[in-house]
This record gives sequence, C-alpha cells and structure tokens, in this order.
Amino acid sequence: MFIEYSEEQNMLRDSAERYLRDNYSFDSRQTAVKQASGFDADQWQTFAELGWLAMTFKEEFDGFGGGALETMILCEQFGKYLVLEPYLESVVLVGGLVEAGAQPTVKEQYLAGLIAGELQGAFGYLEEAGVADPTYVQTTAEASADGFVLNGKKTVVLNGPEADSFVISARTGAAEKGPSSGISLFFVSKDTPGLSLKNYKTYDGRSASELQLENVAVMSEALVGELNNGFAIATPVFSRAILAVCAEAVGAMDALLTATVDYTKQRKQFGQSISEFQVLRHRMVDMFMEIELTRSLLMATAWKLDNNAADAEQCVAALKAKVGKAGRYVSHNAVQLHGGIGTTDEFSVGHYFKRLAAIGVMFGSRDSHLSRYSTLSARLSS
Amino acid sequence: MTDNVFRTDVRAFLAESLTPEIKRAGELMTSVFADFDATMDWHKTLYAKGWVAPDWPQEHGGTGWTLSQRYIFQEECKLANAPALFAMGLQMLGPMLIRYGTAEQKAYYLPRMLSGEDVWCQGYSEPGAGSDLASLMTAAVRDGDDYIINGSKIWTSYAQHSNKIFCLVRTSKEGKPQAGISFILVDMDAKGLSVEPIVGLDGTVEQCQVYFDDVRVPAANLVGAENQGWDVAKSLLEFERGGHNFTIDHKKQMAKIDLQASTQLSADGGLWKDNPVFQAKLADVAVDALALEFTELRVKGAFVAGGNAGALSSLIKVMGTEIGQRFNELSVEMMAEHTFVKQLDALLPGFDGEAIGPSCGLTTMAEYINNRAATIYGGSAEIQRDIIAKRVLHL
Repeated sequence: MFIEYSEEQNMLRDSAERYLRDNYSFDSRQTAVKQASGFDADQWQTFAELGWLAMTFKEEFDGFGGGALETMILCEQFGKYLVLEPYLESVVLVGGLVEAGAQPTVKEQYLAGLIAGELQGAFGYLEEAGVADPTYVQTTAEASADGFVLNGKKTVVLNGPEADSFVISARTGAAEKGPSSGISLFFVSKDTPGLSLKNYKTYDGRSASELQLENVAVMSEALVGELNNGFAIATPVFSRAILAVCAEAVGAMDALLTATVDYTKQRKQFGQSISEFQVLRHRMVDMFMEIELTRSLLMATAWKLDNNAADAEQCVAALKAKVGKAGRYVSHNAVQLHGGIGTTDEFSVGHYFKRLAAIGVMFGSRDSHLSRYSTLSARLSS
Repeated sequence: MTDNVFRTDVRAFLAESLTPEIKRAGELMTSVFADFDATMDWHKTLYAKGWVAPDWPQEHGGTGWTLSQRYIFQEECKLANAPALFAMGLQMLGPMLIRYGTAEQKAYYLPRMLSGEDVWCQGYSEPGAGSDLASLMTAAVRDGDDYIINGSKIWTSYAQHSNKIFCLVRTSKEGKPQAGISFILVDMDAKGLSVEPIVGLDGTVEQCQVYFDDVRVPAANLVGAENQGWDVAKSLLEFERGGHNFTIDHKKQMAKIDLQASTQLSADGGLWKDNPVFQAKLADVAVDALALEFTELRVKGAFVAGGNAGALSSLIKVMGTEIGQRFNELSVEMMAEHTFVKQLDALLPGFDGEAIGPSCGLTTMAEYINNRAATIYGGSAEIQRDIIAKRVLHL
C-alpha cells in the first residue's frame, strides 16, 4: 500500500487549506461560538459553494463521488482551523445514513438540500443510561397503520439545535441476534408533532440537544436502512465518522505542535528561550512522533476503507485508540508548555485541547477500541 | 482528647453547621476554588466557632490542635463537602505575616483576615515572569513616605472578589534579580489599580490581570525590609506547597469515581466497576495515590520531629497534581458524552432547575479542564523537578 493522491485530491487539500487560512481566523471563530447557532451560516453556505458538502456523495445525487480519502483531507483542515460548522453531523453522519439507506423521496430531498447548504442534520443515537454503547436503545418505534410511532429520549444530540432533520435509533424488536439487532433507524423532521428539544452548548464550543419523543408518528418511508437491522448501515457510517474525527484530531494536533514550537522559541525565562531547555525540546519531539504515527494510521485507514480491505475495520479501531492516546499527550503538553495562557479562553491552544478531549470520547473510548482491535485481530488471524 | 473523640466532635459540628447551600457549593467545586459567597459564609461560620485558622499559633487565633487533629479536621471538612476556604490569606499571607510582619501589621491585618473582613489575593506572576519569578518588573519607587507602583500582575486568583493584594515588586535593579525585590501590601481600592478578569477554558472567571498605574502605597505596608522580599516570598511558597494535602483531594476524587463506576454502564453493557480493564487502570492510579498518602504521612512525621519537608514537598506537588489529573481522565472516560454538556448555571449552589445528564457527571469536564492548570501554578511540574534535581540529587 502506498498512497498517492490524485490531482483532484491535492487540489481539494490546497483549496481547503488556502480558504480556511484566509477566511477562518480564530477570532472570527470565537465570535461564531457566541452566536446561538454555534457556527457561521455564511461559512456553511460557502462550504456548499466550494463543493465540500457534495464531495463524498455519489454522482447520481449530484455529489463528486469522493470517498474516505476526501473525508480525511477535508476534516484534517477542519481540525487545523477548529472549524465549528457541523460537517460531521450533517454530512458524514446523517448524509451518510440517508445516502446508504433512506427511501428515494427522503434521499432526494435531504441530499439536495444538504449539498445546497440549506439543510442540516443530527443523529440521535445515544441514551442517558448507556451513553458508552450505541446499541443501548430504549427508545421504541411501534408499527402503526401507515408507519411507526416513536417514544423515548435521546441524549447529547450534536447539532440538534440547528438540524432540520434527525436520524433516530429506536428499538423495533428484541436483541435476539446480538446487541445491535432489533434496532431500526428513522428519519424524523424537526417539526414532527411530539418531538421536543432542550438545547445547550458544549464545552468545545458547539451546540447539542436532549431529544424527547412523545408519540412521534412517522410514515413508513421514514425508515432508514433495514427494519431491525439499522446497524447494517450505521456501522460503516460510524467507521467513516471515526475517520473524520481522527483526521480532525491530526489537524488539531498539528496546529498545537506548531503553536507550541513557536511559543517556546519566543517565550524567554531565565535569560533564554524556553525552547532551549532539553526537557521541553524532547517533549515537543515526542509530540511530533505521536502525531506522525497517528497520521500514518490515518492515511492507511482511509485508503483501506476506500478499497474495502479485509483489515479496514481493524485499522479504524487502531486509529481511534491511537488518537485517544496521542490527542491527550499532545494537547496536555501543548497546554503545559504554554503555561497560564494555555488555560485561557482568549488563546486558541485551550480550544484545541477541548476539541481533542471531545474527540477522545466520541464514538467509543480508547479502551473500547483497543478491545475491538484485539477481537478483530483474533478473528482475522483465525 | 483521643483522635477518635476529636473526629466525632468535628463530624457533629459539620453535621449541624454545613447548610445545604454551603455543602452544595463544596460538591460543585470544579477547581481549588468554590463559589465565592458560599465559601465566605462558611468562613464566617468557622470564624464564629474559632476554627477558621487551625494552622496558626494559638496566640494569633489558631486552635492549638495537634498536627494529627489538624489533618483530621481538613479531611472531615473535605469529605463532608465543605468548600475549601481561600488559601491566599489564611494559608499563605497569615503565617508569613506572623513570621515577618511588624507588631502593627499583625495587630491590624490578622484579625481582619480571620473574620473575613479582608479577602486577599496574591500578586506574584507577571506576563514576563512566570517560572522565572525573580525576573519580575513591576516597580515600586520610593517617594517620601510612600512607594509608587507601576506594572502588572497576572494569574491573580479571585482578584475580582478581593479587597487586598500582597505583591512582590522591584525596588532595586542592582545585583542579582532576587536581591532587588520587596514584599508589599496594597489596598485594591487604591487609585490607579485596576482588575481585568481572565475567562478560563470552562467559561468562568477565576484568574485576573491586575494593573498598577502610579498606585501610591504607604512605605509602612512593606513586609520585611526593602529588597528582602524574596526571602519572605520563598517562605510563602513553602506554605503554598507544604500546606496542601493531596491525599484528601484524591480521596474525594475516588469517592466520585466509585459513584460513577457503580452507576454508569461501559461499552460492554456492564457497570464500569465490573469492567476488568477499568479496574486495572483505576488500581494503577490508586496505588500511586496510596504511595503518595504514605509519603505525606512521612513528611508530617518529619514535621513533628522538628524537621521539614525539604525537597519532598516538590515531589508531593508533582505527584499529587499528576495523580489528580489521572483521576480526572478516568472520570471523563466513564462519563463519556455526558461530559460535553456545558451548563454553568447548574454549577451554581443556588441552582434550582433540572440539570441535564447524570448528576455524578455534572462537574467532570470542568474539573478535567481546570485541573490541567495544577501542574502549572504554584511552581510548574518542570520547575519542581528541577528543584529535586538540584537539592536532592545535587545535579
């Protein structure tokens, strides 16, 4: 395996890099954080115009047919500039689920609106009593004459406040064939009667909601994927989402290392730049090594996902586990080497740290992916 | 009185004196500082009981307790979720004034510190002088019976709530940098002094920058002689480091972790406390915390025998803060996405709404974020390791 980027992929990276560098300053980001929506609607519109929102969808839906590599290229730049706009929630998660399993009418309507920058989505898959496990689903969907009726609660639904539509996991049957069996996915518009939201901000500057569903009636066309087997489409979408947040993490870690190297060169204590202290130099070298190892896993995983390699899922688990460790090491030491200013709201370093803390938690902790990695390795070698 | 009887007395007092609101403020602490109003209420309760400054000599308002009783008191207070009293006056400046202050300074400042009439903050660090504190530039120039101060102090905790600040200022540029520093007490309402809050990563204000623009201070406010401030400050740093019991903090963290582990489900569907990987990780930190507890007891034994902590206090600061950070990480792992929810209003002791998510995870992210500063303030982990290298290993 040797990754060579196509000309289009190189152009995508260069244009994302250039656009964000020139138009996504930390100060303007912080202004957007303070808005109710938690991001800048004009930026989202520009992302649509630049074709970023269409990049990974199939050509039949007016997408550009990109895959995991394109997701990685974009998200790495989003991480580097701490982009707030809900690409992960609207495009990777809800866009991915809708493309993979929604009925044609839903697909046409949501994807067209999404690609045009007019629609937003959010995936409600977590519940309060079992937040570490997406197969913990108590929300129910009962069959009715012409569809389903949903009841239950979903917690920490990222981008909930801005979403026009949700994909919601609900139990339609017992977990007879493993923990994820009996779970189905439903496409629910925000204005559906019985759906209510409690909105709030997250520590990493985004927005989220608690969802309550009280007799939310949807038509049978709302089903996304197979009945009782929603995880057949959710699992690959989660893998893509893990790749996306890990790419974001690599971009964020790059930004932290650059900032730390610059700061330690410029900061003088005891009559010299603190970058001259060997203990700090080695710390920064270790940060660098953690980042490069993570980057190698990231690139290989993207390539393997695009090529349906037998060990792609194993690499996804390895990558998420590695990001958990590297993200902590790099962000903790970036804050430590910046000293007091690293702990302030005014300075960017702490915001990268908070984003990496959230990424470390999302879609499973380091430990759960380590155990997934060993299970998958044992299966592959037997 | 045996220690057990003493402990029973302390518990009885805490049970009757800790109001629900004060206790709530202690439960909701996300850093070393609790809610200001609740903490001052608790300060006044302890003052009325005569227990506000157990570490002080009895003639100045101390309790006359043994070292062991003082430890029991601290432990019981923390485990009952009493807010920690602000250390800047009682723990830092008080003992130092008792040692270096004039008779007038003691008579004036100590009673006001005990009663809570004065709230003190510490003006040491400057934008250009952090780890290298001796390079500080805020200047005090003698003018008749006064000094005129110009410059700025940063990372001044709770300056927005304080009416007094003790500062290190430069009074001479001759000789070594340490030789030209003086220690001075300043009224926060002095003309030319201003406070700018610094918003922390959790969205709250604990730190400030304090600006001095021709601030006039009587020369009588000098503590120790002019240019002798470094010695005074060094003794204070010992109080800052030696006065903190990390073990009690760790026990409080472990109690929280136990609650989380016995109520929250891990990815395998069982409780965290039954997850073998988690058990091993928790035990790994707990063993280090236990080793640190015995180290703290060793140091206390040395105090009783008339010795001092020496560079072991640096070891305790490094390990105590790093172990605390590891406990924070375990909590974040268990509370998972619940830690994302930012609900600052629910962290106020008077909050009467309904908080989002499990109550045992309410403070988890803010504690994790805020505790990153623990290896930076009060002498960074790097500086502490340098001290051990120099003073113990003679490198």
